[in-house]
Amino acid sequence: MQIGERKVGDKIILEVLESHFGADKALAFKNALGRHLEGGPVSLVLDLAKVDFIDSSGLGALLSVLKRMPKGSELVICGTKEPVSSMFKLTRMDRVFTICKTVDDAVSTLSH
Amino acid sequence: MKAMILAAGKGTRVRPITNVLPKPMIPLVRKPVMEFLVEHLRGHGVKELVVNTSHLAPMIEHYFRDGERFGVQMAYSFEGNLVKGQVEGKAIGSAGGMKKIQDFSGFFDETFVVLCGDALVDVDFAEVLRFHRSRKSIATLVLRDVPAEDVSKYGVVLTDSTGRITRFQEKPNREDAVSTTINTGIYLFEPEIFRYIPSGVEFDIGGQLLPELVRAGQNIFGLALPFTWVDIGSVPDYWEATQLLLRGKVTGFTMPGRELRPGVHCGINVQIDWDRVNIVGPVYIGSSTSIGNGATIIGPSVIGSGCVVQPGATVKECILADYTRVTSAACLEQKLIFGNKCIDPSGSSLDIAEAQIGWLVEDARKTEDLSETEMQLVDEVRALTAS
Repeated sequence: MQIGERKVGDKIILEVLESHFGADKALAFKNALGRHLEGGPVSLVLDLAKVDFIDSSGLGALLSVLKRMPKGSELVICGTKEPVSSMFKLTRMDRVFTICKTVDDAVSTLSH
Repeated sequence: MKAMILAAGKGTRVRPITNVLPKPMIPLVRKPVMEFLVEHLRGHGVKELVVNTSHLAPMIEHYFRDGERFGVQMAYSFEGNLVKGQVEGKAIGSAGGMKKIQDFSGFFDETFVVLCGDALVDVDFAEVLRFHRSRKSIATLVLRDVPAEDVSKYGVVLTDSTGRITRFQEKPNREDAVSTTINTGIYLFEPEIFRYIPSGVEFDIGGQLLPELVRAGQNIFGLALPFTWVDIGSVPDYWEATQLLLRGKVTGFTMPGRELRPGVHCGINVQIDWDRVNIVGPVYIGSSTSIGNGATIIGPSVIGSGCVVQPGATVKECILADYTRVTSAACLEQKLIFGNKCIDPSGSSLDIAEAQIGWLVEDARKTEDLSETEMQLVDEVRALTAS
């Protein structure tokens, strides 16, 4: 699972560099994000602009990360395009996650 | 009059619906679009009609058979091969298809109508025939005026004051178009036109035959007249057409089934407790469908036959093919469900198996068998909807 990482202030921008985010990537994704979830509160932006396809396992992995985030953490998703945005809407995950258009929007959405 | 319905297209722009249904069989609410055409032609005295079939030919042939059930005589001219038990289409163009039939039996021995099987039309053929005869035309095109922004989708024509066609343009840019009058692909022909169609080659009416007739100095005519024309040439067109039909905006179309609640038409053998569902029409619910308690259905929607809408599910502005299961966890909004695909009105689609969304929408005949991830998601959605 290729994930690009950079920081804007204390906010961590993670960019999923896979076009296909399916069952075969779900576990690797959860493991890769594990180290961000072990300390104190974090502010994460997850950029899915390079993702062309996500299945239920991929969404499940996102959900499990959301649930494991330390108290006071924030996660904002951005860059979703069709059919990924359709998947979020169809599964009602668009109401579970905060979703922004761009990384900049996502960064400004994060409160701290 | 005799007639030919062009039904050999692959329907590329209506994919993925046309992966499982040939375009003429796409239902307008419940009835295949081609059935409306057959009925309309019969109403105008057409007794014999030939259909050229290719892509998914057996679905058309098995539905209409010899036409007796529809009050006409029907035959098919199949364009393709049977390879390893599978029908493989090999279409030969609209004019090529006509020529093949003529070479085979000389079927077209009088004035005949040719039209595409993928648009609902109610052209007054008696009026077109009167015009055709009065001009001693060998080819008469049914024309229509469209908004200037739409001309680039069609063949544009220019006519003189008698209706004689003086110019053709195939899909011109808006700024280059010589008029906003377009060829609807509905024709009246005399058998003489076959002199201008070569045998055994792919040949198109709009792109080759008509220009050939003009080159040969033949007078061909066009008649613009008002009529209903509901095109289902693409997924967005089909979506729009169904919305219009359900909203009652298409003259001559009546909703199937019985209206059991205002704006809600149903087939028979439907399982529903009207006091415990939330339905806002216009909605059609097919026979043998079950709507669970607490489900919400917002129109314009078509729910096919044998569907299962589970308790608590939401279906808003959707077209569901027969045997669709919508689970309690699902909130379907503006979706078409056809052939294991979840399709957006824009045409983009998700494969239900590939995207693993069987926990939301699935073939109702499959047993519900959810993976651990899927069950986790169902729980998550349930928690969400409860809060």
